[in-house]
Amino acid sequence: MKHDIHDLASGILLAAIGLFVALYAAGHYDIGSLRRMGPGFFPAILGGVLAVLGLMIALPAWARAGHRGRIAWKEAGAVLAAILVFAAGLEPVGLVPVTLASVLIASIAAPDRRVGWRLALALGITVLSVVVFHFGLKMTVPLWPGQA
Amino acid sequence: MSGWDGFLHGLSVALQPGVLIYCVLGVVLGTFVGVLPGIGAMATISLLLPITYYLSPEAALIMLAGVYYGSQYGGAVASILLRLPGTPQSAVTTLDGYPLAQQGRAGVALFTSMISSFLGSFFGIFVLILLSGVLSRAATAFGAADYAAMMLLGLVAASTIGAKHPAKGFAMVVLGLILGCVGTDVNSGEQRFTFGQTELMDGVNLVALAMGLFGVAEVIANIHVAERTGVPRRIALRELLPSRAELRRIPFPALRGASLGSFFGALPGTGSTISSFLAYAAERRISRHPERFGNGAIEGVAGPEAANNAAAISAFVPTLTLGIPGDPIMALMLGALVIHGVQPGPLMLAERPDMFWGLIASFGIGNLLLLVLNLPLIGIWVSMLRIPFRWLYPAILIFVCLGVYSVRGSSFDIFAVALIGAIGYALSLARFNPALLLLGFVLGPLIETNLRRALLISRGDPMVFLHRPIAAAFVLATAALLAMSLLQAIRRKSRGPDRVASVNGEAE
Repeated sequence: MKHDIHDLASGILLAAIGLFVALYAAGHYDIGSLRRMGPGFFPAILGGVLAVLGLMIALPAWARAGHRGRIAWKEAGAVLAAILVFAAGLEPVGLVPVTLASVLIASIAAPDRRVGWRLALALGITVLSVVVFHFGLKMTVPLWPGQA
Repeated sequence: MSGWDGFLHGLSVALQPGVLIYCVLGVVLGTFVGVLPGIGAMATISLLLPITYYLSPEAALIMLAGVYYGSQYGGAVASILLRLPGTPQSAVTTLDGYPLAQQGRAGVALFTSMISSFLGSFFGIFVLILLSGVLSRAATAFGAADYAAMMLLGLVAASTIGAKHPAKGFAMVVLGLILGCVGTDVNSGEQRFTFGQTELMDGVNLVALAMGLFGVAEVIANIHVAERTGVPRRIALRELLPSRAELRRIPFPALRGASLGSFFGALPGTGSTISSFLAYAAERRISRHPERFGNGAIEGVAGPEAANNAAAISAFVPTLTLGIPGDPIMALMLGALVIHGVQPGPLMLAERPDMFWGLIASFGIGNLLLLVLNLPLIGIWVSMLRIPFRWLYPAILIFVCLGVYSVRGSSFDIFAVALIGAIGYALSLARFNPALLLLGFVLGPLIETNLRRALLISRGDPMVFLHRPIAAAFVLATAALLAMSLLQAIRRKSRGPDRVASVNGEAE
């Protein structure tokens, strides 16, 4: 038995989100009337519509084979890790160290095993971002640890 | 102020050095990202959004628009040389551009695409000037019900026309509408779906949403793909010149493409990608040599390239005169304007003539610049294709993070970008179109406000949408579109299993 897993899973997920939104809106916010809509009216309807659409996506997907694309785990991991490190590190340790670290982490995903270009790239991007954001746009952000 | 006077006034705005420089910056950057497969106009405009806080609204809009139509010029380069569309709008250019390149006529294909883009853009500018005057006068007759109905039509059209899975497109739109509800409700002041997070009180941050969906998700998806581009041959200037017979085959397809493009660009929901495909189909249908198409027909490059550029310009008609974006990129432009406290709409022409006419004049200047820059410097753009993507994407990521942080100095927003990026990548894996989500997100609050207002005025009578002629026309058109896509779905089912996704379905 083959199923289109992508559509099946995403359809069910969307239906669940829609149901949650509709119920949450109906339970927490005033629905009002057609004449005077409350804050809950619009989201409750949208939630209902999304739930129906989710089912419309999921149900036919049960009975047909899907195509499975390659999931870029390594790329996704490296890119997301680089952003998370940047988000966590920017204020405590400053722009310069966090940019160096994030570029090095992001470059893990690149299909080039050598090390030299990564270091050069990290340095180059750090200089560029300091010049553009610190000197150019005068953004208030610490450059080094302990400046926050 | 009408037509010509307005344009002259616009020139005086757009030629100020402080504005002109951003026009130049926009079109150069646009060409650059258009040439490179892997980053598109959508990602670049999201990336630039925070930087526009530092600019005047005129300069900001002119720069962002420059990126958009500049990318349409650049997009053809990779399509022709590598059969790899630099932007979705130029996907159809691969069909005849690449065969031309293989026959050693790459230069002629590039020349054709550039000159057709130029013709298309200027056609679009004329249509924009003509239509926006008429429409902004007509728009004073628009009531809340008409606006709500028109936006509904735009959303339905964007998710059904040319889509293989209308339900999936529509689901994205609705999800976007729901995300648009997050934050403080304007009418009641109630906090909706904030779950106690003060950062969400102003709603989901447009910059974080756009950067996550387009910047981050596209980087993840393209790290591997974009590395495999291959190295194009160098193009000598002399190769650009077409023969006289070839030259004669450019103007009419370009004009036909431009008229198709400016028509469909101005309609809500159908953008430049769809019009380039339509122009290609039209050229093949009326050609006396349809067998040439797919084997290097000049017409197959000229028509679509003129169409997508004309559409890129005329797409500004509904955005500027009604305040309703017809496609996701226009939704971003509208978002940028709202960030600057400018609400586009029928009054914009009268109240902010500097911005309105300045933008239109900048289209003229920008397109002239693009032609002058791109034809002689084509060699430089071609050599850009040699830059490996692995040098670019870490820089994109850092700029995404810093850009979103600069909006309000909050690390929360950077975390949000990571989350949205992960969701965006998952969506693209499951073949959903995140651009539609953004369209819904931007239109959501506008639809809700107008819907509430319309029903308040009609005292809760939903028939108001059928009694008002303008609204009724939009509602009927929406119903017809829905019925058509349902019919198509049924017919497809009876015809057997789905074929592999067409380029068209994935494109927008």
